[in-house]
Amino acid sequence: MEGAAADDFIPAGLASMGIEADEVDLAVMNAVHSFFWPPILELLELDLGEVAPERFPDPSRAPR
Amino acid sequence: MKALDLGLRAQAAAIAAGDVDPVELLEAALARIEALNPTLNAVVETFPERSREMLAGAPAGPLHGVPVVIKDEWPLPWRAQRFGAAELMTPTAAGESGPYRALRDAGAIVAGVGNMHELGAGSTGNLSYYGPCHNPWDTERCPGGSSSGPGAAVAARLVAGAVGADGVGSVRFPAAYCGLTGLKPTFGRSAMEGHHMAPVTTTIVSGPLCADAADCRLLGSVLFGEELATGDAAGLRIGVVRDVVSEDVAPEVGAACEAAIEALRGEISGEVREVSLPDLELSAVAAILTINGESLVHATPGGVNRMSSELSPIARGTLKYRMLLPAVATVQAARLRTAMRRRLAELHERVDVLAWPTVPAPAPLLQEPLVELPSGTLTADQANVRGAGLANLTGVPAISVPVGLSSEGLPIGLQLQAAWGRDELLLDAAEALERANGRRWVEARPPLAEAEPAEA
Repeated sequence: MEGAAADDFIPAGLASMGIEADEVDLAVMNAVHSFFWPPILELLELDLGEVAPERFPDPSRAPR
Repeated sequence: MKALDLGLRAQAAAIAAGDVDPVELLEAALARIEALNPTLNAVVETFPERSREMLAGAPAGPLHGVPVVIKDEWPLPWRAQRFGAAELMTPTAAGESGPYRALRDAGAIVAGVGNMHELGAGSTGNLSYYGPCHNPWDTERCPGGSSSGPGAAVAARLVAGAVGADGVGSVRFPAAYCGLTGLKPTFGRSAMEGHHMAPVTTTIVSGPLCADAADCRLLGSVLFGEELATGDAAGLRIGVVRDVVSEDVAPEVGAACEAAIEALRGEISGEVREVSLPDLELSAVAAILTINGESLVHATPGGVNRMSSELSPIARGTLKYRMLLPAVATVQAARLRTAMRRRLAELHERVDVLAWPTVPAPAPLLQEPLVELPSGTLTADQANVRGAGLANLTGVPAISVPVGLSSEGLPIGLQLQAAWGRDELLLDAAEALERANGRRWVEARPPLAEAEPAEA
């Protein structure tokens, strides 16, 4: 899977949400993106198609 | 030994026996906070008159007269939580939180509010509205987060017990960095009422930070509202996972944890089994995505645009980034959550506990929280969440136990994780580990606490 470049993903996302960001915000967001996005892509690549999320997960006990 | 230097249960027992005056103990704690806090910044607020009023009305509970610190994550009747930040997206107000009520009803005295990593969003404690918190073992180092103040306060013996919160490792990280025992309870077992995310969270729990496991058992019993009975860890089946969480760690951390696992095995005549747990590392990003979705429940683009300028640039930029994360990733995180919960349920039919280092390297510098690992240099946050997220994602309990000091004199922690509801077993195992190493590491004290001020 191709990773989203921060140059594309962040400005487009901010614009679509109407969120304002200055240069400092963008620098922080780029840094966060550089180490947070790769594991998200890894997660998305996992083949979990057979796993339906628990409808009402109860993390206080083992899954039923 | 002065009363303030005793552990939590010893303080409680000494007060109950009439050997220690709780008024003097509270005043000693307040004096020590005043003396050492300029160095540590562990306690962000004291309220001596409120504390004295609590003591005057304290019931004869299991913590009667014992001073404690509570993280800046729950409201008190006279103070709203700030979550270590200039502003929260979620409204807060002063009030009786569950942990406060549990402490009060047990007779404990809230002596102060503990510092925390800004918005709970970091494993180091170097960032806070109140300024960074410092590690008593080396004040240039991170104390761990986000329960930084509770960890530093107990390590420096400002108090003998503190209440933290753990959403992705936030009790266990400061326990490991500060040489303490810290319990992340099974989801839902410990008091959470009044937390600004309590209605929506499926990952965050309150938990105790103390010098040793028996003190955690006592404070944990108060937070759970039920006695965490002592059992027998004999014959414990210990699972080890040969994965990034146990392999990509600083060599001396790996060695200390391996030795501790072997010592524990010998102490309880147990057995060590290598087990497989696929996708363990990705459980961290799944946990972060889960807590991210839950924590944004009150966030709107307009609200983010109006955020206080006092919020740190890192918190502000990170929050804006979190708003952009795609829903498909959160759905995939939910799928992995289900998968990991099923895998753990199956795994715990074969092993009682899973063991790996709580954090892969000792406390990094406050100014530059990076860690050197066999795979290279990582931010402490990147490295720390890898072994911590699973417990929050799945809901199981986990505990960090001190198992050594690095060549630089910094604490090393071993994490033990068990199946849902087996918090007591973790405490039993931690006590067995303490016996195995002669209580050497739970009784180790940082130089700052050894050089105690004259007043206390």
